[in-house]
Amino acid sequence: MEVKILLKAGIKQHRGVLAGIFVLVLLVSLFLGTVLTVWTNSGSYMRHELNRAGFGGLTAWVSGAPDVNALAGQAAALHDVERVEVQRLIFSNYITNGQESDSEGQLISVASGDRRYRFFTDDLTGYLDELPEIATGEVYVSPSLISMFDVKIGDAIDFPLARNGGTVSLTVTGFYEDPFMGSSMIGMKSFLISGDEADEMLQVIQNAGIDALARSGAMLHLFQREDSTAAIAELNGSLNENTSLPEFTEFVHSSDAVSGFMLILQNAFCGLLLAFVLVLLFVVFAVLGHSIASAIEADTVRMGVLKTAGFTSSMLRRIQLLQYAAAILPGMLLGILLTRPASRLVSSATITTTGLRVPADVPLGLCLGAFAAILLLLAAFILLKTARISRIMPMKAIRGDMERSPFRPEKWPAVNGENLSISLAVRQLATGRRKYLSACVTAILLVFFVSMIVRMNAWLGADGKGMMDAFNPADHDIGIQSFGELTREEMERMILEHTGITDTYVLAMPGVTVNGVDFTANVIDEPERFHLMEGRTCLNGDEIVITEFVAADLGVAVGDSLTVGADLGIAEYVVSGIYSCANDMGQNVGMSREGYLKIGYDSPNLWCRHYFLADSSKKVAITGKLEAAYGGDVHIHENTWPGLFGIISAMEALLSFLYIIVVFFILVVTVMTGSRILSAERRDTGIYKAVGVTDRRLRISFSLRFGIAALAGSIIGAALASVFTDPLVSAVMKLAGISTFASRLDAASALLPVVAVVTLFAGFAYLAAGRIKRTDLTILITE
Amino acid sequence: MKEILLQGKEISKVFVGGGENVPILNRVNVRIFKGDFTVIMGASGAGKSTLLYSLSGMDDITGGRVEYKGRKINGLSEKETARLRANEFGFVFQQTHLVSNLTLYENILVAGYVGKCRPKEVRRKALALLAQMRVGEAKNRLPSQVSGGEAQRAAIARAVINDPGLIFADEPTGALNKAGSEEVLNLLSALSEAGQSILMVTHDVRAAVRGSRILYMEDGSIADELTLPAYRAADAKEREEKVTRWLSSLQW
Repeated sequence: MEVKILLKAGIKQHRGVLAGIFVLVLLVSLFLGTVLTVWTNSGSYMRHELNRAGFGGLTAWVSGAPDVNALAGQAAALHDVERVEVQRLIFSNYITNGQESDSEGQLISVASGDRRYRFFTDDLTGYLDELPEIATGEVYVSPSLISMFDVKIGDAIDFPLARNGGTVSLTVTGFYEDPFMGSSMIGMKSFLISGDEADEMLQVIQNAGIDALARSGAMLHLFQREDSTAAIAELNGSLNENTSLPEFTEFVHSSDAVSGFMLILQNAFCGLLLAFVLVLLFVVFAVLGHSIASAIEADTVRMGVLKTAGFTSSMLRRIQLLQYAAAILPGMLLGILLTRPASRLVSSATITTTGLRVPADVPLGLCLGAFAAILLLLAAFILLKTARISRIMPMKAIRGDMERSPFRPEKWPAVNGENLSISLAVRQLATGRRKYLSACVTAILLVFFVSMIVRMNAWLGADGKGMMDAFNPADHDIGIQSFGELTREEMERMILEHTGITDTYVLAMPGVTVNGVDFTANVIDEPERFHLMEGRTCLNGDEIVITEFVAADLGVAVGDSLTVGADLGIAEYVVSGIYSCANDMGQNVGMSREGYLKIGYDSPNLWCRHYFLADSSKKVAITGKLEAAYGGDVHIHENTWPGLFGIISAMEALLSFLYIIVVFFILVVTVMTGSRILSAERRDTGIYKAVGVTDRRLRISFSLRFGIAALAGSIIGAALASVFTDPLVSAVMKLAGISTFASRLDAASALLPVVAVVTLFAGFAYLAAGRIKRTDLTILITE
Repeated sequence: MKEILLQGKEISKVFVGGGENVPILNRVNVRIFKGDFTVIMGASGAGKSTLLYSLSGMDDITGGRVEYKGRKINGLSEKETARLRANEFGFVFQQTHLVSNLTLYENILVAGYVGKCRPKEVRRKALALLAQMRVGEAKNRLPSQVSGGEAQRAAIARAVINDPGLIFADEPTGALNKAGSEEVLNLLSALSEAGQSILMVTHDVRAAVRGSRILYMEDGSIADELTLPAYRAADAKEREEKVTRWLSSLQW
């Protein structure tokens, strides 16, 4: 009964602080629950949908095969293959809303009643109950085309199937869910069309002969036998060795690789947000620690009295535990309850990037486990922090005779009239260092994390150049590949009409096999342009450079030999160096032109000429002019890709979200700690006011204390970010095949989080100190 | 004719407690003259401290008007009130009310810095006052490291650093032993002798005799007053008897 009374009194007395803890725990729980839900569900939903839709463990894209069914039969005959499913398609470039896709699209005919794909309602909030009949002239696309090309229902998508009027224009009728390549992170996109449309298109291609720009092909989905122990790379090698598939294969990807591509953005941002939630959790611990310490300090006399009345230390500690549990448990519970709507919101917000409508069902086991772990940690922390209650000696406490570490004023700057507010702030800080520790720790954590994201954003750059450089084997401003009459002289003449050319080289990206496994080769006429990390570049014809991921997968290092094959034959190459190129998640190799031509055919259409421009802002004008003049005969790409805009906008959204949460957390932390400090300082405030110090000066001095504490923390946070961002982010980036992450920040960008956090702390402290106005001087009156 | 420094007209103060209005000050009219050492006495609950804080602007009044040098001071803005406290009023409390994390010297400096003098001048004056109050040796100590008498002397130095027009002292010897009380009262007497206007609340006859004018409060009103000649240590005993007789006549 007594415990209940004391608990109620404690909750009433500390309701402000408990409300703050409730809000912090609510936010942490909500974010943690949402991140775990989105992360878990997106992975499981992907796997479920890939299985349901019938995509195998390995998919080979083929074209030009005279008999696709025969090819499928050869593959199905392999020992490790259970069955092969064939999806016929048409490879074609596409243009929509004035933008030409960087990658080819694949047009897939959908038979009436085919339930492989799920179709969205027009507002993307759900699925259509009945499968739509796709009519001639209609096309269904992934919602990621909205973020990539701003596609809307009713827009036209042009498919240049052949030269001289062979372009077919289809109208976007709706959106469908493509678990295979629906994400904006994957350049190649599938377009669902009617069977009649597909037949007509094939006819156009067939009739066009050598003028055909599109080509027919198929996806062969290989399902591995359940008892097969072969790795996917081994299955791939077996296909290349034992079937005629390599003659017709454009590329091969495992379902794991596809899943990786599909969810790369989702997973990367979930990882970042999870790290942020951990940061926020540390903030909660820091605030809770300060709150407990100051509450015990303020209640020491009362606790001394209670001990004389027979309350034991463990009873008092239990009351404290229950008091904080009264804020933590409802906060966590509400956080869990809000997780589902929040996850639904995230799913809706990301559907135009991921192409998936990820379910919002909360993974209860995982979430409850995580929350239980947090609860246990919090309980242990509270019990640890309340241990000092055991050291309260009743009579000493009642006399106010508690041990305090002596303050040595001579060790601190004296109060001076020239800077009275600052010097008073410094003195208060020096006296009550521990009281400001939570503000300092919060600043360290928040600035560290925000600085890390700012550095990532700076690396990415406003136009995504950082990421493009990581994906490209060599730098360039614009690449032009001719499939027809356009000569080098003519393309350069057209460029020179707009701007100068500062440098040029050629690059080709043919498929090769390395030790029997399919890879893309970056073949270049100037190998010294490769982004080299180790060793030297492949200057000689018998040398090759590989990414560190290929090196790890194949178990080779610089100096080792590899067998590389292409359409002319195979040859041995020595690994001369390790280079960085995140294309195909780092699954690529680099060769010199001389080296590649030992095993592969040469053809003028193979090479893409890369240019560096005197004025790179002229890229758009040059692209427009070349496309207008040569249409489907030329493929032009800038140092960008449509999926990049998804990453850039997601990064901007993440930064905005972080700043909003940072603002909110700083507000709660400052108000909570500030109100505790102001309560403890009411007498001093009265004294200052009695001698004529204005409320404004006292408020400024108070806000300066938080500003100074936050400045110290922010500097530490920014310094930690400058030291640890690169290794930490590099470790994460490697999962996406990016092996080179080196952030550079100009002084203004580096200072922004510091200035923002310090200003917020000082500003909110000034607002919280508004209660100084209400401090009554009668507090100084002794009755 | 003495110059009126501070004047309370029809001052009322009502506390609301338990749903009832409890009057503390009943339309009090009082004048404090320049150069006087005015003492307010009265039984506990008579309203003497409330009157002091109402006149000084440290507490609100329910009705009436307070004028300082002929200017209304109740209802001033926070900034104007702060300026008044910084430049015109000095306070000495029963508990010394020094800021605990500032040294004695710094406690005096802070009050000086918000006044009209330049910082350099404030520092010079503060050192001189510390010497005058005989706490120069302890100037770099914290309030918790000195005796109650030393702390109260430092508080008096803080009260006079800006050459205030009036010092308000609320039971300044209430928390001190006999020797400490004597030292503080001697300092206040010395200040009064030098022309400093002082308004002090006390229930101690030995402290009250230092005043030149004693107001006696009863049930929230000024019931009587006694005027005394300027204090001289040699007359202390005689004054004490006179004041005691007067208080007895008021059934104190």
